[in-house]
Amino acid sequence: MRPRFALFLLIPALLAAQSVADLQKSFEKKVTEFTLANGLHFIVIERHEAPVVSFHTYMNVGSVDDPSAESGLAHMFEHMAFKGTPTIGTKNWPEEKAAMDAVDVIYNLLDAERNKGPRADPKKIAAIEADLETAMQKADSYVEPNEYDRVVESNGGLDMNAGTGEDSTNYYYSFPSNRIELWFLLESERFLHPVFREFYKERDVVREERRMRVESSSQGKLVEALSATAFAAHPYHNEPGGWASDIDHFRRPAAQRFYQQYYVPANMTLGIAGDVNPAQARKLAEKYFGRLPARPLPSQYRTVEPPQEGEKRVTISSPAQPFLILAYKRPDRHSPDDAALSVLDAVLSDGRTGLIYKDMVRDKQMALGAGSQPQFPGGKYPSLFLLYSAPSTGRSAEENEKELYQIVEQVKTTKIDQQTLDRVKTKLRAALIRKLGSNTGLAVELCTYYVNYGDWRKLFTELDDYEKVTAEDVQRVAKTYLVPEHLTVAYTFVPEGGAK
Amino acid sequence: MTRRLLLGALLATAALAQSVPSYQQLVYPPLKQVKIPEPVSFRLKNGMQVFLLEDHELPLINGLALVRTGNLFDPADKRGLSTILADVLRSGGTHARTGDQIDEELENIAASVESNMGETNASLSFSGLKETAGTVLRVFKEVMTDPEFRQDKIDLSISQMNSGIDRRNDDPQGIVEREISSVIYGRDNPYGWNIEHADMAHIQRSDLQAFYRRYYFPKNTMLAIYGDFSAPEMRTQLEELFADWNTEQPPVPAFPAVTAKPAPGVFLAEKSDVTQTFFAIGELSGTLRDPDYPALEVAVNILGSGFTSRLMSQIRTKMGLAYSIGAGWGANYDHPGTFRIVGSTKSATTAEAIVASRAEVEKMRAAEVSEQELKSAKDAVLNSFVFFFDSPAKTLNRVMMYQYYGYPKDFLFEYQKKVTAVTRADVLRVMREHIHPANLSIVAVGNPKDFGKPLSDVGKVQQIDLSIPPAPAK
Repeated sequence: MRPRFALFLLIPALLAAQSVADLQKSFEKKVTEFTLANGLHFIVIERHEAPVVSFHTYMNVGSVDDPSAESGLAHMFEHMAFKGTPTIGTKNWPEEKAAMDAVDVIYNLLDAERNKGPRADPKKIAAIEADLETAMQKADSYVEPNEYDRVVESNGGLDMNAGTGEDSTNYYYSFPSNRIELWFLLESERFLHPVFREFYKERDVVREERRMRVESSSQGKLVEALSATAFAAHPYHNEPGGWASDIDHFRRPAAQRFYQQYYVPANMTLGIAGDVNPAQARKLAEKYFGRLPARPLPSQYRTVEPPQEGEKRVTISSPAQPFLILAYKRPDRHSPDDAALSVLDAVLSDGRTGLIYKDMVRDKQMALGAGSQPQFPGGKYPSLFLLYSAPSTGRSAEENEKELYQIVEQVKTTKIDQQTLDRVKTKLRAALIRKLGSNTGLAVELCTYYVNYGDWRKLFTELDDYEKVTAEDVQRVAKTYLVPEHLTVAYTFVPEGGAK
Repeated sequence: MTRRLLLGALLATAALAQSVPSYQQLVYPPLKQVKIPEPVSFRLKNGMQVFLLEDHELPLINGLALVRTGNLFDPADKRGLSTILADVLRSGGTHARTGDQIDEELENIAASVESNMGETNASLSFSGLKETAGTVLRVFKEVMTDPEFRQDKIDLSISQMNSGIDRRNDDPQGIVEREISSVIYGRDNPYGWNIEHADMAHIQRSDLQAFYRRYYFPKNTMLAIYGDFSAPEMRTQLEELFADWNTEQPPVPAFPAVTAKPAPGVFLAEKSDVTQTFFAIGELSGTLRDPDYPALEVAVNILGSGFTSRLMSQIRTKMGLAYSIGAGWGANYDHPGTFRIVGSTKSATTAEAIVASRAEVEKMRAAEVSEQELKSAKDAVLNSFVFFFDSPAKTLNRVMMYQYYGYPKDFLFEYQKKVTAVTRADVLRVMREHIHPANLSIVAVGNPKDFGKPLSDVGKVQQIDLSIPPAPAK
């Protein structure tokens, strides 16, 4: 038994390495890429196991692009992208268009009156508001409700949805593979001429989404407060959902301007994975997406977060059981230290052998759950390395916080052992292999790596970066980045006497 | 650079002139024949049923065992026992090695073995790289057949469960899902009761061992494995591996029957730290065996599934009252599930949103749906049917589930046929026969101080006490 075990210890470093190399080779044959004249990039991944195909639209647009006092606008546009086009979702387009324009003419009058501040006439405001309501009802009367969604769903479209993050906005669903052309048609139409119908009703829906995700969740509130505290100047300060009052003030013309500026073809990458013929996909791409006019790429410059010069702390009073986050400033995903930070994260919290789990959950039983996250809230710009914990009943957030510092101290003062390092690298390789078995996963991964690193192959070659990470590197990045001056602490606490 | 841009602009202009069809004009080629793999099925000498399916796309191997037991077998004074058992089955290690040693051994080879307890099945799963399949299988077998239930991990599991109990009122969505079940099934039986600190105080190592011995035996277990292996070789390997697992027990009895009685009314759970009210409207539904099940799926999809449903169109799109709103028929394989509408709206519009949701149920029972609604709902099911077969794992899982719950192999195809045949009259009939407005239970979790119209506008309100009973004094 003993010798076998010792032998077995030698194997891990090599595990899965050959498989990954073979898989990358096989993907070279399965992947076809092309860029249209307008700058739009396609990645087609052939996987003919079943007659289905998944689509992913990766827009290099996120809440970091929200204009000032219009936080959440990128997310608002994402909702409008399901509202249809001049031919989808309307009973009578010319009449509807005129009615929608009339709504905004009246809304301008309302804004003009409100802008008078203390000299605004409440009676006038009430009268305009009544006109506005009538105008909206008229515009809504031309709507063929949810037609865009119905076409997708009734054609067997599966898991259609979208999401807006700090760095990107993603749209996705799957079709039976004989419906490929329908996706080309619907997806190109909605980004060629989206119609912002029912805008002000949808604004209420978006506001409800914020109430659900943020205002009614203690962790939602905590994360929002964390971002707002850790980032003083960079737009990671704002959550993708936006602030409540900004949502209430969204205007349709502003959303249209946002679309004009950011939804340009060169900012858009489309992934198609499954039972698809790349030559046919290219023809359809030219036919449908070739229609999008080329426009200049928007600036990627965003206010640079100045160096943090001391610990920050934010608390949320909540009747919920406590939750604690430590957030350290870290560089963006292009930093040479990115791979070492990912390895450090895996050492701290991957699986049942992560340092934090073993110490705080398993051995000391002071936390119900605890771990780390290497990059939050995004990666395009310098962001945060997180440690978090949900204390066990009877154990305090303060005690958990101290224990997390102990663990940080440990990775700064002691090199991790070779077995741990090998284990982490093997797990990172295996995690990649496990990602490659689904169309939806492939479509999103290849788009994401292409946009963020310029080449989908980075999905595979990233493993070489991990392979080069040494125990010294892990210790060095811990020492460099997990420092008190760059720390923001956020936690919820139960106020005296329980509920507020 | 300028030239390239200019050329791009020209091409774009040229492309604009090219006309594209409308979606109504598109003609689709017939869908290619789906290849449905056939799993190899056999019994090991010890009586364990096995299903194997080769899938050589990636160098991985995955498995799932189902054991005929479930948390429905929890004793009334030790609720949560089976959940603790499933947790410690894995974490408590085996006779030969501690759980911590197993953690290291598995993760060194990027593998996992996990154990879980459901309502009507217990599962044990594994995942590993092809090149280490032998090790993963050996550990999986050891965990399944030779658990040690070490005391330190029982203590940890109970401590975790207690912390979970203390956190159960933190998430309003979680509260509403839990409470609607409790209201519909009743709180005095395993379908509707909560696990409390008092239950945890009673659980002993001997309870886990007894529960394990009663249910975890070969004839009571099914195992499905898929991935990059040769089925004949795997069969030989499994025969050898499980040759020494021969425990016998009498057949496991049926799960306790559902005894729910209608519990109409409005139930309010107060929560001060939310700006939305989370609500559910529901009653007991049925099983997949019900002859009306296909028509009910179509009917409830029209009411509340996806972005085009009536609830979505009315409550979200037209009224702007909710971000999340939907309904599901909720049939189970073996016992009646719950039909439920679930949504959330700002506190001020609580009554309005609930009344409007209930009105949509009434409309479905008052008149036939439109031909277009029926067609869209049926098309959605029939055109997405191919996704039932888009991975070997789905096929294998379904084959095993059908066998576990005693369903015919062709159940899915029968379902497809029956959906095709559903008429508008069927939809109206099943809505009238199976959904009873007078029996609907309504649960709201929210802050009544901020309600606009009072909740009593919806019906007579009964309070739900969310307070968590403390652990008994030691």
